[in-house]
Amino acid sequence: MTSATTTPTTTGTSTGSKVLALAMSETRLMLRNRTVAVSALFIPLVMGAFFAYSFTSNGGEDPSPFVFALVVASQLAIVVGMTVYVTTTITVVARRHTRVLKRMRTSGISDTGLLAATIAPTVVVGLLQLVLFVPFNAYMGVPVPADPLALALAALGGLALSVTAALATTVVTATPERAQITTLPLVFLILGASIALAVIPADGWWQLLALVPGAAIGELAGYGLLGGAWGAGVAGLPAVLPALVALVVWPVVFGVLAKRSFRWDPRN
Amino acid sequence: MGGQDAVSAGSVIAGHYWGLPRAGRVVPMTQTTAPMAGPGLDRADGDLAIRVRDLRVSYGDFEAVRGIDLQVRRGEIFALLGTNGAGKTTTLEVLEGFGRRSGGEVSVLGLDPATDTAALRPRMGVQLQEGGFVEELTVLESLQLWQRMVDRRDEPQRLLERFELTTRRDVAVGKLSGGEKRRLDLAMAVWGSPELAVLDEPTTGLDPESRRRTWDAIQELQEAGRTVVLTTHYLEEAEALADRIAIMHEGRIAVSGSLSEIVAAQPAGFSATLPGPLDLPPLRGRAEHDGETLRVRTDDLQGDLTTFLTWAADRGVRLPDLRAAPASLADIYHGIRTEQ
Repeated sequence: MTSATTTPTTTGTSTGSKVLALAMSETRLMLRNRTVAVSALFIPLVMGAFFAYSFTSNGGEDPSPFVFALVVASQLAIVVGMTVYVTTTITVVARRHTRVLKRMRTSGISDTGLLAATIAPTVVVGLLQLVLFVPFNAYMGVPVPADPLALALAALGGLALSVTAALATTVVTATPERAQITTLPLVFLILGASIALAVIPADGWWQLLALVPGAAIGELAGYGLLGGAWGAGVAGLPAVLPALVALVVWPVVFGVLAKRSFRWDPRN
Repeated sequence: MGGQDAVSAGSVIAGHYWGLPRAGRVVPMTQTTAPMAGPGLDRADGDLAIRVRDLRVSYGDFEAVRGIDLQVRRGEIFALLGTNGAGKTTTLEVLEGFGRRSGGEVSVLGLDPATDTAALRPRMGVQLQEGGFVEELTVLESLQLWQRMVDRRDEPQRLLERFELTTRRDVAVGKLSGGEKRRLDLAMAVWGSPELAVLDEPTTGLDPESRRRTWDAIQELQEAGRTVVLTTHYLEEAEALADRIAIMHEGRIAVSGSLSEIVAAQPAGFSATLPGPLDLPPLRGRAEHDGETLRVRTDDLQGDLTTFLTWAADRGVRLPDLRAAPASLADIYHGIRTEQ
């Protein structure tokens, strides 16, 4: 027998190329599955555009600056809550339920790489949707952000929240069908809190509402459009501080929960 | 057994599927299947693909695996038998690095699967008991994705041909039959001829012809010097393929060794039709007579049979349907299930 038969030929495929290959496959699946394509790609765009149109159509009068903050906050919340959080939860649970995650782990890809590849397409879609909202909002009269940094933090923090929350939600979700129920509470919380915090005056103890998961997105969107993030707030600290704390703490909390309890095998 | 047959003449048909194009060239080779050793086998770690000592796995208060010892030599096919819930899959999951052990030592290809996962997985092919496919991908897309995911070199086209899936290459995996999915599963497990293939019930749900082809593929792996660990419910599969066998029951290994060792260690038996009351001679084994048929289980088949035949000859008793046989794997398997 030759050495060729006794020594396996290895290719030494890099982790990056494995992640890319799997992420491309996931993207293909997302586009191929009409239900996912409509719910993750089309509906959030339509809803975001609808909110922008309905909020800014103020009977012919110029909308107030708060309305613009409301538009951006609602669009961020839709992308974070519906596109990324719900779709990521369903995708991960579906791959676990059909033992695809387990199969892929046998390939030699790292666990982190496997999850990153499974999640990445949804996050990219979310980012693309946010980019698409920019020219649409400009057309609808939304002004240039007063504080782009606050807006960027809202988007990045929202994506971190949605991804970690999705992984944590898989812990209590046995099947992809059940994900449509288990994701509802946080979706409503993100949508409600972010939209409310975009318009509630950010002064005094009201700022503590920013600690609710998702509320920081709305508050930061408000600061992004209207400015004032770094002015004095509670106890003379920057007004944006509670929102920033929430922006970091909730992804950490969900991340720790997911790390401790995430399961690779199907749940019964 | 396949592995033994392949080396019995001190040569093997080289150039089989796993290494080279099939050329049918006969070359001398070193014996890939080491001489059989007993259940107490204890070898230098270099000879062993797997070494397990006092493995325990618990889920809460339930102990699924209760202190088992296993040794699998490099290049052999090892079959793990047992009833549902015996602990086979749990044991495999520990070997694969998917399951956590509660106690004991485990070495797979010289590595600890619990801590050396990244180094171990590229050297190991795993067939899951079920599932593991993205059903919307076609067969070819699944293999092409696998090609980019696995560190062992192979070609989708070769696997499609080897496992007779060429005509199904553009069909979504979700539309394959159960047998076709099992073949695709095996193709992915043996992709690139891994040093160790762990196959969980590789032929469950297959028709006899597909099962035979799967056996051929497993034997080809062994001929290429690879180690195979498989679980199965089919006794004939273990008899046909495995160099050594372990039978698990309720989290423990009830018996282990080569088939001949296991059978030799169990009582043999003989039976004959003998109506009416009997005045049997003293036998070493245990005799049962139901008024029609005599059945004897004994560790000394030759001695008891000689005594019995002498007794029959002295009395002029004819024994037209006398049958004597060593214990079968089926006898042993069923004996374990009913005794414990």
